[in-house]
Amino acid sequence: MSETLRFLSDDLQLMALSFMAVVYVFRIRWLLKFKASAERQAPSGAAGTSPFKGIVYSWANIAMPWSMESTRRMIFFYLQFVVFHLAVAANIAMSFVIPYAPGLMRPMIVVRLLQALFAAACVIGCYRLYRRLSHPAIRLISTPDDYFSLALLTLWSFASIFAAPNRPDQGEGPLMVYFVMTAFFLVYVPFSKISHYLYYPFTRFYFGRTMGHRGVYPVKRVTQPKATRA
Amino acid sequence: MTQRVRSHKAEKVVERMGRKLNRQMVGSLAGCVHCGMCTESCHYVLANPDDPTYAPAYKADQIRKIFKRNFDWTGKVFPWWVHAQDIRTDQDLETLKDIVFGKCTNCRRCSLNCPMGVDFATLNRMARGLLVSVGVMPEGVAVVSKDQWEVGNQMGVLPQDYRETLEWLSDELEAEFKDPAARIPIDKMDAEVVYAINPREVKYDPRTISDAARIFYLANENWTMPSEGWDMTNFGLFSGDDELGAAVAQRVYDKVAELRGTRLVLSECGHGYRSTRCEGPNWSGKEIPFVIESSVLSMLRYIKEGRIRIDKSKNKDSYTFHDSCNNARSCGFFEEPRELLNLLVTDFREMVPNRAENFCCTGGGGAMSMSEYTPQRLKSAQIKADQLKATGVKMVVTSCHNCVDGLADVIRHYKLGMKVTQLVSLTANALVVPEKIVVPVKARIPEVSLPLQGFKILVVDDEPDILAFIATVLEDQGAAVIQAADGEQALALALQEKPDLITLDLSMPGKNGGYVFEEIRNNPEAASTKVCIITGKPELRRLIYERPVAPPEGYLDKPVDEKTLLSNIRMILELKHPHGNA
Repeated sequence: MSETLRFLSDDLQLMALSFMAVVYVFRIRWLLKFKASAERQAPSGAAGTSPFKGIVYSWANIAMPWSMESTRRMIFFYLQFVVFHLAVAANIAMSFVIPYAPGLMRPMIVVRLLQALFAAACVIGCYRLYRRLSHPAIRLISTPDDYFSLALLTLWSFASIFAAPNRPDQGEGPLMVYFVMTAFFLVYVPFSKISHYLYYPFTRFYFGRTMGHRGVYPVKRVTQPKATRA
Repeated sequence: MTQRVRSHKAEKVVERMGRKLNRQMVGSLAGCVHCGMCTESCHYVLANPDDPTYAPAYKADQIRKIFKRNFDWTGKVFPWWVHAQDIRTDQDLETLKDIVFGKCTNCRRCSLNCPMGVDFATLNRMARGLLVSVGVMPEGVAVVSKDQWEVGNQMGVLPQDYRETLEWLSDELEAEFKDPAARIPIDKMDAEVVYAINPREVKYDPRTISDAARIFYLANENWTMPSEGWDMTNFGLFSGDDELGAAVAQRVYDKVAELRGTRLVLSECGHGYRSTRCEGPNWSGKEIPFVIESSVLSMLRYIKEGRIRIDKSKNKDSYTFHDSCNNARSCGFFEEPRELLNLLVTDFREMVPNRAENFCCTGGGGAMSMSEYTPQRLKSAQIKADQLKATGVKMVVTSCHNCVDGLADVIRHYKLGMKVTQLVSLTANALVVPEKIVVPVKARIPEVSLPLQGFKILVVDDEPDILAFIATVLEDQGAAVIQAADGEQALALALQEKPDLITLDLSMPGKNGGYVFEEIRNNPEAASTKVCIITGKPELRRLIYERPVAPPEGYLDKPVDEKTLLSNIRMILELKHPHGNA
């Protein structure tokens, strides 16, 4: 491995990660600076509900596609979401595994699975870009950041397909591209919509707390019309 | 730099936004990923698929861009990158007004469908509050808010009118049960139940008060109604004005405390329940030392405890239940109404979707008071109309006064042939009156000669509240009333039904009142029909009297009170004697 690749896969990643962590600390401090409003009323809704249950349900909501009408009705879209986010998580994990635990990626099955996942993410990313451009409502709300973030993740997934085998002996190019892109990703994330996962626990916590306190969460759904006739 | 180019109002909006933002709101403003999952949960979007500006994320972005430009440093440094944009002119505020008041009912359906937990409805309400704070709001919102601030209730019911209505209802109750104790107690100390209502009940639908009174009486409840602080509705919820919200809620709480009431029972009103039961303590910042519950719970308890007896066969129609957004999506109040309804009717059919996933009646969020948005509201109500139609029932039950009006409007507009009612009316109708209480109501009826009995009157108005008010007043006096919400319908009914009198609004969408009036006068079959113009725009009077046809028989300015309306109608119908002896 060349010194350049070693720098890109190790020092540069640590610098980018540190930068991201620092910005995140500022972002969270900024968010916490705003006062959280309280729920003073007596609990309402079904007896079994509580703020705690509401919070747990709210956090777990994303893993329960049946819990929201939007995910129920757009199940294909939801599956895309799952695959895309799994690929991003795997991609981040791979940026640690390659420099620090390369042995984990020696079995070919692992490499092939990762490549399949990244390829799927790449296809989904392309489709999402198309959807963002073609759907009038989505196009209207899309910002340059939305397009750039999606394009970045799609390209990053594409680059990862070639980096996954981790064979610097066969040419360091794919790994260098991958690590440069990863570092850029880490630096850019805190300023982009990709940092939504930073806000997710907060928005879901407060929404779940309120909805749990008021007995709306967990959502009760009656799927079949229930007729009562004497 | 941007501050210098803002108008005074825009400057205030931005300044107040900074004070109003809390962590929940900031999370919702920063956390949206523009995924579009919210889009198809909104009835406005579903009914207007070609107009992307109805998308919840787009509407929220109109608030988000101001936030980003002024409070989020990414937007401050790279505004174009994240579509951050300042609000600068009064015209910008007007545009925002049309979005947050005219394109959203704050029903919270999109919030519940957002994977990120972005609470769009809270953001929309915040934006409404900011606009209201600088005087930018629909006229109806201004009028209602003013009444609630100054008169103490959102319909401007004067204390004397309130008391007189309760006295009149008490007299009827006493006569019905032939029991001097069968009256509506006012300001009774140490009552178990203090009953607060919606002013709409006093003004347009006092039957729901007498229905509740009958139930309390037969349940032998120790109850009272307050002389002040009786309005449990709260326009602060709709206008986003937390100060109004706190003041109105506190007025109700203070009165209950003064009367040393044990339980504050709220009549069936979704936004009133949410405001008084859920949001009021948050707005006022105080703990509430007594129980607050919906009258639905009280009625259910009376039945379960055997304090009242019910014969469900008295409610013979087929029924469905419409969940109010405020009850179901913001207070988790959806099972108890169903439990009660199942005890009251023999044919109950669920509406789909239901409970927290139900669609808005489309008249929520104060939409019924914003007539400038009526056409787009009714167009967007197609979703609700389809949902109602699919149930195949005759009667829609709801636990919300606002939904009663909203649904009635949808039913009328889409000609669904259904009626809307509330649980209190169904309960009262199904009551089994114990034998020891004599109910000689039917024996009394023939003795009363109603002044408008035998007359057929066509009431024409595009405002559902006014239509309901005029129709109720005339019906109560014995008239057979036909209703029309627009000019075309009015013309058709005038020719088909041949009414004795038409009360005609002038300013209506489509064929306006002036056109309808001239058509009637020019049609030999209808020319002799008596017409009373009732308009809120006196400047249009000229247009009527300048027409080359015989002038109308009567003319009234809005707002019109019951007494004026009746005396004028009687005069036009040449009924000089108060009991109809012409």
